[in-house]
Amino acid sequence: MKRNVLVVALVVCVLGLLSLAGWANWQNRVHRAMHDQETANQAVLVADKTPTGDSVAHMFSPLVGKPAPAFTLTNLKGEKVSLASYKGKAVQLNFWATWCAPCKIETPWLIELEKQYSPQGFEILGVSFDDLDKDDPKLLAKDKAEIEKGVADLKISYPVLIDGDSIAKRYGDPDVFPTSLFIGRDGKVVAASFGLTSKDDLEGNIRKALGEGK
Amino acid sequence: MKNSILLALALPLTAILATAQSSIPGVTSHPEAKPAAVAYLFPEQVSVPAGKPASVDLHFKVAEGLHVNSHTPRAEELIPTTLKFPETGDVRLAKADFPPGKDFTLSFGSDIPAEKLSVYTGEFIIHTELVAAKGEHLVQASLRYQACSSNTCLPPRTIPVAIDVIAK
Repeated sequence: MKRNVLVVALVVCVLGLLSLAGWANWQNRVHRAMHDQETANQAVLVADKTPTGDSVAHMFSPLVGKPAPAFTLTNLKGEKVSLASYKGKAVQLNFWATWCAPCKIETPWLIELEKQYSPQGFEILGVSFDDLDKDDPKLLAKDKAEIEKGVADLKISYPVLIDGDSIAKRYGDPDVFPTSLFIGRDGKVVAASFGLTSKDDLEGNIRKALGEGK
Repeated sequence: MKNSILLALALPLTAILATAQSSIPGVTSHPEAKPAAVAYLFPEQVSVPAGKPASVDLHFKVAEGLHVNSHTPRAEELIPTTLKFPETGDVRLAKADFPPGKDFTLSFGSDIPAEKLSVYTGEFIIHTELVAAKGEHLVQASLRYQACSSNTCLPPRTIPVAIDVIAK
């Protein structure tokens, strides 16, 4: 009798643990699926060879060839700006921040290139990744004023949107600045550049977005 | 007989528990986690006299090829390297002397104005004075910094600085 009770108790224990393991496995699958979704668009560093055979590293974005994720952000005047409103145009999304020194170096190139190619339907949208203290109106106003000052100091003529962090997940959590995504007239990402490259590289990508280059 | 039943059930139970543990979110490790640009080197533990200011040098290392802004960057918009101690606790940060930054010029061709920066590279030391109440205290301080290479910048980060302070 005692043995039967023991066996039944152990069987119940085993069934309970099996249920726990099943639940934990399910939780893990959900967690991994969420993680994979978040990192699906994340740029990865890949090794490559230069024409001279030197090994270099460059970033590759899985977003290239895919439709650019939709977003709506506000500009420095507080107006809402949607990527959708640029449908039919070639767009460069330039992720930058006021604390990013290499971003400042490329900004004059961007201003020139935007002027040069805007008659053909090219637009640049600067997206600031400066932190915003959203919980404190005074600090938020100060943060915005600092971005405005940065925009004025750099004489940026194209629209600058704030709170880039809010769309970061959709764009693969950009973690190097500057980062630019070049979007074709059909809304698909045609190229990406990470870090300070050169004016020629930027121009080549703009031409791709306009459908002129390869 | 009882022992053989227990043994027969113990083996699969161990396997089930191991599977369950490795499946619980948070227990699994994510090898793709990116290394920090700055690492806290040492000390992990210090012994200081209780109730008196004691000098403690905190050693950090910036990853090769990167620099972080010094505590006093040249431009207002640049994010300085700062050290923060918990405001409540038995260990108080009485003083923190940051090293002077090294001059770093970010240059990219003759047609672009060079950007002059004040930065830390390699190893750097923050000289601190701590005042601790008698006893053993695990201090969870933090270092905030913003790192760049010559052509990219990384977002600002905060890393933990854990020090076991033994005050006698």
